[in-house]
Amino acid sequence: MTDWLGMVATPRTPRPELKGRVLERARTRRRRWPLAVAALLVVGAGGAAWWAKRTIDQLTVERARLATRATALEDTVSTFIHGGGTELLQIPVSTGGRVGSVTIFADSVGHRWLVRCDGLAPNARDQTYQLWFITETGMMTAALMPMDQDRPMVMALEMPGGNVRVMGAAMSIEPRAGSASPSGPVVFHRML
Amino acid sequence: MTSPKRLSQELASSLVRRLKERDERALEELYDVLAPWVLGVAYRILQDEDEAEEVVADVFVQVWRHVDQHDTRRGPLVPWVLSIARNRALDMLRRRRRWWRKGERLKQAQASEPMKAEGEGEVAHESSVPGWPVHREVHAALAELPEEQRRVVTLSYFEGLSHREIAQRTNQPLGTVKTRLRMAHQKLAERLRHLKDWLA
Repeated sequence: MTDWLGMVATPRTPRPELKGRVLERARTRRRRWPLAVAALLVVGAGGAAWWAKRTIDQLTVERARLATRATALEDTVSTFIHGGGTELLQIPVSTGGRVGSVTIFADSVGHRWLVRCDGLAPNARDQTYQLWFITETGMMTAALMPMDQDRPMVMALEMPGGNVRVMGAAMSIEPRAGSASPSGPVVFHRML
Repeated sequence: MTSPKRLSQELASSLVRRLKERDERALEELYDVLAPWVLGVAYRILQDEDEAEEVVADVFVQVWRHVDQHDTRRGPLVPWVLSIARNRALDMLRRRRRWWRKGERLKQAQASEPMKAEGEGEVAHESSVPGWPVHREVHAALAELPEEQRRVVTLSYFEGLSHREIAQRTNQPLGTVKTRLRMAHQKLAERLRHLKDWLA
């Protein structure tokens, strides 16, 4: 019976234009398309959110991977530079008519090399730089260093195991797949 | 006391049937009769003319679109429409988070316009609107309630407060509030039992 309580309120005369507004709104058929648009927007927003989350997750993983790699590299470089058994070799080179350098941090304690190449001319498509260890028994391949872009290159190398004694380093230009022994133009040849 | 004009069951059913048949003329008739009351309820709750008129528009559009939901066997048409108005107005009140401000305005309005009777101020001017006798009857029924019961009914109906909120507002135990509301509803139901529906 409390439904009748509304009648307690003092009646008020609506503004005359209100009636027209009400009837007009009542006559207007409810359009369904706003619902469809809303649904599409919701789906779109959901898709965008999913895509954004996926991208963020991927980037987070990539960032973590790069951070780990950077830390490892920093650690490696620090070990090379500050290690007691590290010997520094700086070798001026000339490739493709330009002057560059190859810097080798040779860690005799850790049996590793850190090699940095600056100013090397990019290789032809079918060629690569190949680094060699000079040992008592001959040349042993150390690494393939294809240079497709004109930018510095850094790489860490494990020295040959066993009783192989490394006496120096050399670099030559070889076919892209590398060679078993130097066959192309020599970039440098240096004894430790 | 003037007897309220009644809406016969046949007439009420006819109006609802016409609304269901999408007879716009029926909606116009309903608006002409009920709009002042719907606006009165909305204004009483919101204390804002523009918002109250927005509620009026919403109510009649809802009645037009959802008249199928009204079952004449379960209750008269007018209370159904008024309940929609109340709910809409309370929704708006809550949505716009003007609860406290409206409450203050309501208190001021109630203080300046306490339970007016026919013949006072704008009430006399409005007394020509259809349904006025019912207004007087409901008003009288509410006025006959003890003050403490009238207050809880008003807080519940026009401010939409829960029992707990009423207890906090009136500094009364929750059980007391529930008892007062129950007793008030019983008295109102008894007093207004004869009301069925009305139309000019």
